[in-house]
Amino acid sequence: MKESQSILLFIRLYIIIVFFFVFSPILASFVFSFNSDRFPSLPLGHFTLKWYEMIFDDPDVWDAFAVSIMVSITVGIISTFIGFCTAYTDFRYRFFGKNIYLALALLPPTIPLVIMGLAMLALLSRIGMSGEIHSIIVSHVVLCSPFAMAIVRMRLAQMDPQLEAAAWNLGASQWRAMSTIIFPFTFPAIISAFCLTMAVSFDEFAVAWFVSGLNKTVPVIILEILQGNVDPQINAIGTLVFIISITLVVIAQIIFMTKSTKSAHGFRI
Amino acid sequence: MSEPLVVFKDVIKRYGDFVAVRRMNLVIHPGEFIAIMGPSGCGKTTTLRMLAGLEQPSEGEIRISGKQMNEVSPSERDTPMVWQSLALFPFLNVLKNVEFGLKMRGTDSASRRQQSMEWLDRLGIAEFAERDVSLLSGGQRQRVALARALVTEPQVLLLDEPLSALDANLVIHMQGVLTRLQKELGITFVYVTHSQSEAFAMADRVVIMNEGAVLQVGSPQSVYRNPASRFVAEFVGTNNIISGTARSVKSNVVQLESNISTFKVSPSADQQIVEGSEYSFVISADQVSLSSEAETLENCIPCSLISEEFVGSVVTLFFEDESGTQFRVQKQQRDLDSLNLKIGETVWASWETRHAYLLPEDN
Amino acid sequence: MPMLIWQLLFFVFPLCFLVGLSFWVVRNYRMTPDFDPVNWIKMYNKGYFWDAYFRTFVIASMSTVITSVIAFPCAYGLAFKVSANIRRWAVFLLIIPFFTSYLVRVYSWQVILGTKGVVNGFLGYFGLGPYDMLFNLFGTLVGYLTLCLPLVVVLQLISLASIDKRLIEAARNLGCGTIRTVFSVIIPLAKIGLIIGAVFCFILSFGDFVSPYYLGGSKPPTLSILIIDTTKSGQQWPRAAVVALTMIATLLAVAFTAVSAAYRRPK
Repeated sequence: MKESQSILLFIRLYIIIVFFFVFSPILASFVFSFNSDRFPSLPLGHFTLKWYEMIFDDPDVWDAFAVSIMVSITVGIISTFIGFCTAYTDFRYRFFGKNIYLALALLPPTIPLVIMGLAMLALLSRIGMSGEIHSIIVSHVVLCSPFAMAIVRMRLAQMDPQLEAAAWNLGASQWRAMSTIIFPFTFPAIISAFCLTMAVSFDEFAVAWFVSGLNKTVPVIILEILQGNVDPQINAIGTLVFIISITLVVIAQIIFMTKSTKSAHGFRI
Repeated sequence: MSEPLVVFKDVIKRYGDFVAVRRMNLVIHPGEFIAIMGPSGCGKTTTLRMLAGLEQPSEGEIRISGKQMNEVSPSERDTPMVWQSLALFPFLNVLKNVEFGLKMRGTDSASRRQQSMEWLDRLGIAEFAERDVSLLSGGQRQRVALARALVTEPQVLLLDEPLSALDANLVIHMQGVLTRLQKELGITFVYVTHSQSEAFAMADRVVIMNEGAVLQVGSPQSVYRNPASRFVAEFVGTNNIISGTARSVKSNVVQLESNISTFKVSPSADQQIVEGSEYSFVISADQVSLSSEAETLENCIPCSLISEEFVGSVVTLFFEDESGTQFRVQKQQRDLDSLNLKIGETVWASWETRHAYLLPEDN
Repeated sequence: MPMLIWQLLFFVFPLCFLVGLSFWVVRNYRMTPDFDPVNWIKMYNKGYFWDAYFRTFVIASMSTVITSVIAFPCAYGLAFKVSANIRRWAVFLLIIPFFTSYLVRVYSWQVILGTKGVVNGFLGYFGLGPYDMLFNLFGTLVGYLTLCLPLVVVLQLISLASIDKRLIEAARNLGCGTIRTVFSVIIPLAKIGLIIGAVFCFILSFGDFVSPYYLGGSKPPTLSILIIDTTKSGQQWPRAAVVALTMIATLLAVAFTAVSAAYRRPK
């Protein structure tokens, strides 16, 4: 029918426009990072790598990258571990106060980062921990573990709950059942969660800004530059950050989606 | 009579206020095929899980081979189970699935492989050894689950409605496989199901449960012919239940007066009949004769045909008697042809006194 | 178990500390532990606090409505009008911005929307503009949209895609036209997902400081900017704590109301 054809076209166009809106700042940043103009506009200036050269020469930026990477790896490991334990506990046990437990576990993303940053800084400075790297790590883990928990929990939901009991029934102790059944099955989710929490931590700036003191992560550097004035170096840094984050997210998605559909299919009666 | 293999002594299972299994006393003998059956929620699966160690009794004790099992974890028991969902490990191939129990016991890899292959061969699926379990058909997966449970040569095999997901003709075939296996191996099978036909086809003894209580234990024939309670009579087979007041008791025949007619029933040896009390009796649908004239048989009622139901070669006829109560009669298709019944037609249903079974006091 | 301990220590405890902090007093530029409601009284008496409060609330509400409305046709199209393969790719693409630097995207907008930026340059070819798109409400809203739109689309999409298709077929079968089906059948069925998306959007917009600061001109300030200003000048952390706690209370109230409304059974 003619009418639904044009509606279909309209909707498809609409979707494309929305995606364009979402991605245009990212694309623009990418393009501008190679653009010679300090204040990019149309028509574009000539192609240049000078902004990249500037940041590669800046020792502060290298330090910040080192800090960011170290923090995000640590945060990834701890968050994934905590997220896994929580997801498994939710999967297997029913106990009193479970709803409160879950609410606590999933609440952090709902509190504005400014407030978390303030609270963390206030507390940590009183006990003398602020400005140190571990304070950033701690804050980020609080932030990221809900994501890890959600990812692992989703994967566990795909598993036949009787599989674990079947392993016990055949003589596996609880630990062995965990290592032969649960781990292999949730492995893609664990890797995904690790990549994703790393990405979240790598990008997170608000709390890090409050809490980092002298140890700056990359986003904090960006914030500082931003507070100065328009500076195209940001585009270069931003593009690099984007590439790193997107690599992590892509790995996470690919592993999670391909592996999980493959093993989940093992299970249709 | 050999020592019992499994003993349930005063076992009760509660979940908060809900009683899943009421005081259960049950003995299972080595080498027997026992089926536990009942409607959903009757406690049969809970009973099986307690045997496997996945649930602990709230009260009472369970003994296997004389050893008390209450504190023993599932991993330490020797009670492999064939699960309703089969629970095959999706990331292991067929052979590795079957080897799992042996691996947990520390059997070396060569012996594991050899024993598992023997079992796969025995069940006719050796060719699938290296295959991914998701690629097998329902019946083949069923056999993998069986092999996996039997490879460790346990004393007791637990089966939780394993055939419920299969097609009808596959079910018949698998029933044969299970019965044959059980007889060959001499292993005790504890089989849980809600299907009467499965239980009766395979088991040496059946346990009927409802709402957590064991109502009757006996061979399929005895439960079928002599149901111990109204529930069992309604659950097993196709039975008609008629209630009435006892009017007289003479030389082992009770006269029961219902609102339609007076019937003669013979009580069993230990039943005490009190005149004036209410009793019910059971007459199985396949023990009823039909005729177009009032017979001189002792028990006879007129009724009109409402509908028919074909199940293969057996037909269930639904009648309504004068009081509007439903009455069922089962006949072989070939016997009906000579009667030529039509809907709405009135016929006479009759039966012999000795086929009617008096139920214990109504509770 | 470890999660509980960690969360209690590093999540609940700092927030509780914030509560206590709000009662401390600043004397001579130093914070001293106390139990004085002076901060609360002072803050709630200040006109600029309530200005900021209502401003933040209103803008966040606007952002929520605009984002939800813009997101819906997109989510609808992705749920019903494209192949499963495209849908998977779309979700994947939508998750990307969620994990890339929000800061950098905001900065990009600063460049793109500037008076001499790309958009104005483009419009200039047609003799239009230049328009003031930054340092005003428009800029702030663009920023919020960038922050929330992907998430809201994904949440709406998940909700719409899980509707039992047979219900829609039944509605069509009974004579419902396309538009009517959307409003009378699809939206009520997806109500929970739509509301949850809106709640997240509100929470994010309410608490964000980057967009109003860099795209919205930061004056008059939103609550988040107020917190930062209060902290930076004169160490007035207790006052900042008051603002923060008021924000949390508001968010909890909004979230709770919305979720109860979502799960309420229709009469």
